[in-house]
Amino acid sequence: MVNRRALFIYAAMLTLLFLAFLFSLTYSLNGISFVDALNALFNVGDENIITIIKLIRFKRIIMVCVTGAVLGGSGCVFQAILKNPLADPFTLGISGGAILGASIAFISGLAATVSFFTPLFAFAGAVLSVFTVYVFGFKGKFNSNIMILSGVVVSYAFSSLVMLMFSLSQSTGVQQSFMWLMGNFSTFDERLAPFVIIVAAVGLTILFLSGNIIDGISLGREKAETLGNNVEKNIKIVFFITSLIIAAVVSVCGVIGFVGLMIPHIMRIFVGSKAMLLIPASVIGGALFLLLCDTLSKIIFAPVVIPAGIITSVLGGAFFIFLLVKAKKSGV
Amino acid sequence: MIQIKNIYAGYFGREVLKNVSFDVERKDFFGIIGKNGAGKSTLLKIFSNLLKSYKGNALIDNKNLESFKSKELAKRLSFLPQYSDMSMPFSVVEFIMFARFPYMNMFKFPSKSDYKAIERVMGFLNITNLSERKITELSGGEKQKVLIAQVLAQETDIIIFDEPTARLDIGSQNNILKLLRDLNEKHNKTIILTIHDLNAAGEFCNKLLLLENGSICRCGTPEEVLNCKDIERVYKTVVVVKTNPISNRPYVIPVSG
Repeated sequence: MVNRRALFIYAAMLTLLFLAFLFSLTYSLNGISFVDALNALFNVGDENIITIIKLIRFKRIIMVCVTGAVLGGSGCVFQAILKNPLADPFTLGISGGAILGASIAFISGLAATVSFFTPLFAFAGAVLSVFTVYVFGFKGKFNSNIMILSGVVVSYAFSSLVMLMFSLSQSTGVQQSFMWLMGNFSTFDERLAPFVIIVAAVGLTILFLSGNIIDGISLGREKAETLGNNVEKNIKIVFFITSLIIAAVVSVCGVIGFVGLMIPHIMRIFVGSKAMLLIPASVIGGALFLLLCDTLSKIIFAPVVIPAGIITSVLGGAFFIFLLVKAKKSGV
Repeated sequence: MIQIKNIYAGYFGREVLKNVSFDVERKDFFGIIGKNGAGKSTLLKIFSNLLKSYKGNALIDNKNLESFKSKELAKRLSFLPQYSDMSMPFSVVEFIMFARFPYMNMFKFPSKSDYKAIERVMGFLNITNLSERKITELSGGEKQKVLIAQVLAQETDIIIFDEPTARLDIGSQNNILKLLRDLNEKHNKTIILTIHDLNAAGEFCNKLLLLENGSICRCGTPEEVLNCKDIERVYKTVVVVKTNPISNRPYVIPVSG
């Protein structure tokens, strides 16, 4: 039974995404129309335009969309398996590890030598925090509260280490770390892009296909097991795939908050809670939202590009204030 | 059909069930009664293979529970726990559809036959009108029906209920039990349940198991099990046992003073 309403929403959002994509390709380039931009992608037209659009902007925009897609989708999955509406991709400590790794790369000066070190260290850091949370969280039977608690602890522990490094270090690496912290699409290593895109695409597809299994986890252990599901195994697999795709984008682009938290909530209003509907909606929604934020981040203080994470945080904060006001009004 | 042989089970070093052995025959309406903490829920967990670390054997049709694959077992028996998490805003259809998991492929995509099965079940329980409602918005009684629909949609011949009537008023309690009796008599289901209310147990069940401190005090027909001596000893209270003039089943009357 195909849900027509969901399909309509996907189509609408993909259209918006396409428009945002074209806008992002052409903003502040006077006299360039959407058609010119599309042509440029296929090497038709003025050489300079082609360079800007195809080589520079296009790659960045793709990365932004992929990151937004991963954040939206993984936020949705974590909210489901942790049964917590406040969960987001970073609840389980990945951000702490990634920031620690990246900071070490910047402050030690390694990042300055070979730009490859930053994403590598960030990924290693993310993996470390995932592993730590896994060990604590999966001791004995899976308990979502214990898992969340371990994530919080790991996050704080690693953040403290980072703060310690910041306070002790004189190097310019500190400033660089800050800029990296909040999400940075200007200077990612392009060679990593195909890898990230493939990991993200494969991971998100598997998660989407596992939507019904993910929903089944919310039934509670007794019910899920008597329905023939191996709850522990399912949660572990979902957890690993989700952590992997988050680590992949975070190590290249930094930590961008609120997308993974807000987008599932917003999309839930449109398509409902069923994972197979909500995951793709969050993926498209995340890509769209982050693309808009990224474009805004380049326009607002032009020519300075502020980290996209700042825009998402501001909009995220506004969103929550709106939710609170709405909740208060309905007497919650 | 189900054989429990010499089960010893417990948690964290505390023994809850001691040398429990009994049989459940096909089409039994089997009630398990006893004080809180006597081991009723533990026994149910062993039946439904949720508790796997125990001494002794639990068999279905002479096949050990251990040797069943999860999916296989899920097609033989279904379990309705005492408390169910209905906090996620799924629609009623989506929620009941989970019960079809044992019949679905790896990624759990529902097929036409799954939707048909759910339609049948909702029709049987008269909740077709609730199909698109969110489970979080249902009343207590409606939620109860949806939960029962969920176990029915699993289409197993054995259904296990943990305290299905625990917090219900007498009207609702009777309705649920009549429904279970229907399933038992007209649809050939084997029903196993734990229940607090001795009279309801006596009225509806064809076999009772009285658990006392982890051991079997008595197992047999309601007339055999609901006798003054055993009830008074197990529950440490004075009672009188009479016969219901309409159904000829025993009922237990508390005596004050």
